[in-house]
Amino acid sequence: MQNSENSAKRRQRFDQYVAVYHQDMYRYAAWLCRDKAIAEDVVQEAMLRAWKSLDALREETSAKQWLLTIVRRENARYFERKRLETVDIDNLTASQAALLAEQPDDELDSMRAAIFELEDDYREPLVLQVLMGYSTQEIATQMGLKQGAVLTRLHRARLQLKEMMARL
Amino acid sequence: MNCEEYRESIAADPSFDGGAGHLTGCAECQAYRSEMQALDEQIKRALVLEVPDLVVPELPEIVTAKSDNVVALRRRQVAPRVWFAMAATIVVAALIGIRIVGTDLQYDSLGEEILAHLDHEPFSLRVTDIAVTDAQLNAVVPRDVARLDHSAGLITYAQSCPIRGHDVPHLVIQGEYGPITILLMPEEAVSGPETIHGENINGVILPVGNGSIAIIGESEERLDRIQERVLESVTWST
Repeated sequence: MQNSENSAKRRQRFDQYVAVYHQDMYRYAAWLCRDKAIAEDVVQEAMLRAWKSLDALREETSAKQWLLTIVRRENARYFERKRLETVDIDNLTASQAALLAEQPDDELDSMRAAIFELEDDYREPLVLQVLMGYSTQEIATQMGLKQGAVLTRLHRARLQLKEMMARL
Repeated sequence: MNCEEYRESIAADPSFDGGAGHLTGCAECQAYRSEMQALDEQIKRALVLEVPDLVVPELPEIVTAKSDNVVALRRRQVAPRVWFAMAATIVVAALIGIRIVGTDLQYDSLGEEILAHLDHEPFSLRVTDIAVTDAQLNAVVPRDVARLDHSAGLITYAQSCPIRGHDVPHLVIQGEYGPITILLMPEEAVSGPETIHGENINGVILPVGNGSIAIIGESEERLDRIQERVLESVTWST
């Protein structure tokens, strides 16, 4: 009886986290792997792992960071398994191209393509800062970097985007 | 703050609100700031992708025997009937006096003692983003023992714990795969790096000066990256 109550509470807790953070998980995955289909796979795997290790999460306020960390490592695991090569923007698969052409908005499409072309090391901290609202210290913790390295990457990412947009 | 420093700060974070004194007197930097903030708006819009409908995968049943959420990563679930066999084994071990001398437990190796210690402090292995206070950290890592900067990562647990008869700083940082334990042992020399093996864990004891540092994480954790950061962040005082 106690067991089934605990299971129901556990499931309820999990469903709440997924409902609140599913969008962040998907967008983070999509910008890490730059592929719609892979992002969906990564998020599915991440949800499964989160479910299995839910009891490790004690502070509710850490839930977002915890879930994004799981997404990050599932993405790394996916790419280790598949040994995928770097994405060439001139030779995209349908699933990769679908990420860039969601809306009929030229400026938005151009910026998306520019972000798509950024190196992984620059794109990830930018996503964490601009989309997820992380501080540079939090990004440093998430990525296992020093804060100075994060600041440099963010600085370079923006300058590269500025240049790419100016060329268009 | 000069123009170059100000612009670097703004490009790293357009919401940066330092350098106000510089900004009021520099029209070019004001324009640069506006340009970067506009660029960030564009970036933000571009990053907001359409999200497909949520599909929750089929979730396996999880045994939830415990009502609290303490992580006991290294303990196996033991069926009650096995207790009899375990009790008998303990009695035999006690009788032949293999590992128990008086009241002090003797361990075959430093790694074994460290694992036994971690089993006694499962509450240290929490996933959290709440750091210990500087005061707490300074109390556990006194300056006459070691100097520690924050580059190792977010320290979420700090206690003095007995290892080999010495009280040593027991710290926990948050890794990619879960909490990572760090034991600073300035008086525990090892001749070379030693790996620690345990259920679902991956650990190493590194010689550092006249002492050593143990780092233990989840089995999938890339400890080489953590090691580098930890070694950079710790300096023995003696």
